[in-house]
This record gives sequence, C-alpha cells and structure tokens, in this order.
Amino acid sequence: MNRRKALKLLVSAAVLPALTPEAFSLFRGVHAQIAAVPGLKTLNPHQNATVTTIAELIIPQTDTPGEKATKVNEFIDLILSEWYDDADTARFLSGLADVDLRSQNSFGKKFVDCSPAQQNQIMKALDDEAIAAVKAESAEKNTNNGPASTPSNFFRMMKKLTLVGYYTSEVGFEDELHKSIIPAGHAGCVQIPAEVAK
Amino acid sequence: MAGKVYDAIVIGSGISGGWAAKELAENGMETLVLEAGRSIIPERDYVEHVPTWGVKFRGLGDRKASLRDQPIQQADEWNAKFFVNDRDNPYTTDADKPYLWLRGRQVGGRSIMWGRQSYRWSDLDFEANLKNGIAVDWPIRYKDIEPWYDHVEDFIGVSGQAEGLPQLPDGKFLPPMEMNCAELTMKEVVARRFAPERVLTIGRTAVLTQEHRGRAACHYCGPCYRGCITRSYFSSVNSTLPAAQLTGKLTIRPFSVVHSLIFDSKTRKISGVRVIDGQSREAMEFHGRIVFLCASTIESARILFNSATTEFPDGLANSSGVLGQNLMDHIYHGGAEGHLSGHEDKMPLGNRPNGIYMPRFRNVKEKHPDFLRGYGFQGDARREGWARGNDLLGFGADFKHMLRAPGPWKFSFDGFGECLPNPKNHMELNKEKLQVGRERVGAFQRYGSDCCRDAGSGGRDRYCYRQNSFHPWRVYP
Repeated sequence: MNRRKALKLLVSAAVLPALTPEAFSLFRGVHAQIAAVPGLKTLNPHQNATVTTIAELIIPQTDTPGEKATKVNEFIDLILSEWYDDADTARFLSGLADVDLRSQNSFGKKFVDCSPAQQNQIMKALDDEAIAAVKAESAEKNTNNGPASTPSNFFRMMKKLTLVGYYTSEVGFEDELHKSIIPAGHAGCVQIPAEVAK
Repeated sequence: MAGKVYDAIVIGSGISGGWAAKELAENGMETLVLEAGRSIIPERDYVEHVPTWGVKFRGLGDRKASLRDQPIQQADEWNAKFFVNDRDNPYTTDADKPYLWLRGRQVGGRSIMWGRQSYRWSDLDFEANLKNGIAVDWPIRYKDIEPWYDHVEDFIGVSGQAEGLPQLPDGKFLPPMEMNCAELTMKEVVARRFAPERVLTIGRTAVLTQEHRGRAACHYCGPCYRGCITRSYFSSVNSTLPAAQLTGKLTIRPFSVVHSLIFDSKTRKISGVRVIDGQSREAMEFHGRIVFLCASTIESARILFNSATTEFPDGLANSSGVLGQNLMDHIYHGGAEGHLSGHEDKMPLGNRPNGIYMPRFRNVKEKHPDFLRGYGFQGDARREGWARGNDLLGFGADFKHMLRAPGPWKFSFDGFGECLPNPKNHMELNKEKLQVGRERVGAFQRYGSDCCRDAGSGGRDRYCYRQNSFHPWRVYP
C-alpha cells in the first residue's frame, strides 16, 4: 500500500465521524514506514513526511514516476545536513514548521493530514509568495539564480531542491526527460521528439 | 639511473610539455618528462560519463569542501580532482588585487580541463606592439609561424569553418560542428546588420568531428573537462604523450617536483635539474643535454628564480631583470544574453562541446578613437532546461509536464579580450614563506631553496605570487 492510496483512503475517511479501523492502521503504517527511512541526518520522521508530501505535490507521479520514486527526501536531507550553511538549514526547517502552522490555522491539522485539496490551497499560497520573492529580488538586483545558489524563501528552496533531486535522478533524467549520457546522435537542430513534446 | 644523461629533459606534461616530448622523442632523442603530479590513467580517472546520480551532491558540488580546499579553483563535482588544493598550494596577492591562479597538477596538466578553443593569430596581432609603440615587437610574423600552426593542427585536429578573414587566419580544419537553428538565425541577423565587419562562425575547437590519427570522433556527451575515454579532444594524455611513448624513447616520471635547473659554470650550459620526489620527499638530480621548461607561465618563472647562483643572484635568464614581469590574463565576462523567439519546435541533438565565435572587429580596418586592439565573443544558443522551473510559478502534473519539454531559446555572448603588457603585473618568490620552508625542508637548504616540503601536502612548493592590478583597456559593448 503506497502513501497516495493511503491518503486517498484517509481523505474518504475524513468525512466520516471517525477513522475506520482499516484507515487508521494504514495511517499508522505509512508513518511507521517513513519513520523507518534509514540514514536521515537532519529531518525527523514528521519533517520527512512533510517534505516528502510537498515534493510529491511539486513533482507528482504522472505517466512517469514522481518525486517519491526518486527519494528526493533523502537528497534534501543530505543538502540540509552537509551542503547548506547552518543558518540556511535552520531557515528551511522553520519554513517547514510554518507550513504546519498555516494548515493548523486554516484547517486545524498538520499539513500531511490535510486533504489534497487543502494541501493544494496551502501550496498555492506558498508558491505565490515564493514567486513574489523572486520578482522582488530580481527587481532589487540582478541575482544569480544558478543551481548552486541558495534562495531565501522557504518554498523556493523547497522547489529548487525538489527539481534538482528529481531531474538529476536516473528516473528524472532517463524516464522523464528522455535523455541519455551518450546521446543517440548529434545535430544542430531536430524536430522536438514526440516523447518529449507530448 | 645514476650518471645517466638524457638527450632531453622536459619539465611539465601539459600542452607545451606534451608537444616538446613528442617532437623530441620522434626525432630520436631519449627524453625524460618530469611531472609534479600523479599519473592519469584514462580508464580509471576520466569521469565524463558518470551521471549526476553517480556523484554525491548531484552536480551541485561539495560546497563546503570547495570553500575550504579549492576556493580559487573552478572545478565541478566531477573534475575537482584535476585541480590543486588551494590550502596546500598557497600564494598571496595584495588584498585589493586578487588573481585567480587555476592549476592542474597531474600528467597532462591543465590540458585535461582546458577550453579547447583554438584560434590563430594574424599579423594584426604580431605587429600590434610595433604599431602601438608598446613593449617589444614580436620577432616573428604570421608567415614564420604558419607552417607550425599547420603542423600542430594537422596532428591535434581542429574543427572549424574557413571564413577568409584577415584578422583570424583559417587553419587546416576538420569539418565544422553544426550551428543550431537559433545560431543560424543570429548569423543571418549579424550578416544583415553588421557585415562585413562582424561575422558569426562556429567555434574552432580541438575536438574531432571525424576519426583522426587513431582517435575517435566526438560522441557529443558534452563535458570534455572531465576527460574523454574516446580521446576525441586534444590533451597531452589523449594525443601527444601516447605518440611520444610509441617511439620507445620516452620516460615519464610523475611526482617529480622540479626545484631548479643546474647551471654548469664550466660549460656555461644547463646540465640538468634538481627534483624533489613528491611522495618520498627525496632530493635527486637528473641530467640532460637540453632542458625544456614547460611548467606553466608562473611555475617556469619560479624555477628560473630558484635557479639563482652566486654568478646569477637574481635567477637564471634574468640579466634583464624582467623575469616574472608582464604577466598577462584575459579580459573576460563582459557580454550579453537574452531570449530568442522562433524555432519553438526545434532543439539541438546531443551536447555539442563548442559554441559560436564572433572574431575581433574593433580596430581591424578603422581605428577606434578611444582604445587599442579588440576583443572577440564566444557564446551559444541553447534551450533552457528544467532548472527554469526554479523561478516559475506552478507545481503538480501540469508543471512537471511543462518542464519535460525544452524551454525558450537563450542566446549568450561572452567577451574575450587581451591585456596590454605591464611590468607591474608580476610575480616574485615569497621570502617570508622561505623562512618557514627552510625550517621544514631539511635536505634542500643546500640549494638556498624557497621550495618547501610541507609534510602531507603531496610534494608541493610554497611560494608567493604577487601581482598588481591589471590596467586593461575599456570594454565597449
């Protein structure tokens, strides 16, 4: 049983006065599964669950695997543990806590426990604020938004890390972008292939 | 080995050292190449095909290690091992006059990670000092060096498009790499609006577009600066050193840090070199009839400074006093970029390790009123990739789907210009470091050495490079 299926079940269960025993055991199972992820150095099980959920909402499973199949959460934990300065990691974690604060204020529960519709609503607000921050920053100065720079807004950090983690994974590179290390050929220009354009 | 006298000793195995070794060995001379760094075995050391998921930080680089160990070097997560550790190889500059000294210390030197763009000088360049009344006139003209350009290009393989420009002589080119459709559009626009002064051509690059002298054509994987297992770009390791080895006349000795040259006061000639073994720290000498100094601009000057004798207290080949002066660099990073509309249904195939070139157009025919000489532009057009999503609104299935397709065409131009020689731009040995060094070097004090063996630093010298600010001409857009 994957998390998405469990969440769907939980969503349907949420309209009921109480969790059915089946949904309740699934809910616990999902959390136990996440808590059991070995090797995380910074994210605690709840933070990890939140990061995993947000990342999957940014890059969901479609006709190709999504963020979860590529373990973006582990990549984000690595960046928080060994790449960011401590201040950036603290800012990220405080931004993550703020996501729960928003969901508590709006819906009275933690982000991971919200319905997909509720999660989307929070994500939309976070995304709007992040892009407003991008615009404000680039209006202020000609910023370098290269892959190695660290944004100041939490959701920008989160989105950037999700994209890097996903598209630099084998699944992202080969299945999603249809790229290969050694290209099939070379030419100045070709028609965009159907599998990329579709 | 004791008492052996080589026909020739070459110090350094980079682009010039590799060429010296090949020419000497092929002419029947028993040649010893001394390289300060380690050996490079392509099958073991090249990393161009390691995917992003094969490196720890997915290509973002080990940021904290880079800040600590290589704040000067410009390496990526894959090729950091081809650049020196800045902590182990310190130098100082005036605080307000930084100088980025990029160094590779291994067999092949910086030819492993070089930019591969290969352009000929013309008489516009050779006559510039004479005409401008600056520095010293070149003792040669284009006709003198043309056969040597041919000789080198014929061996290394340079792909490019002949354009018949007086300021940028054509070479013996392999077939050019293709421009993409956005670059072809830009070429037309430039031709329409700026002809005949400005021309857009494909970069002339030492990357093979067809099999050449036993080396395979480029397979367009992209990151040449991480190595090339098919040896399709020119480097000493891919090209000249194997040719020299074929003669049976070549000996390459890695981990051989050259301290100084040995001047024989009786014969008035250099009779050999003093070496410190980079691993054992043992001091040793090698003897040869001739010595080629190919250790890079700064290291070669350092070796000459270090070779001072009582007769030549300011260093060898320095009776003029200009040793270490007039250090030159590029003017770099002036340019422009922008998006180009059209060709939305097209994309380049493969990762072309080359771009476009706009040759110098200033002061070619008409004199610019405000400045001397000129500059060229390198650049390219490419479709933006998934990273554009970092700063775009959106998330979810539609967002992911949008990022699967290539983004807008982005065109960029980067200016490359020359500096004028200035004696204030100079290097000198660091006398303070010398004291520290002497306490540590032991056996090498007898050479009056500034050359210090810092335990654990892998056989590297400590000395100082001091440089005054450059005085460039202005770059006009």
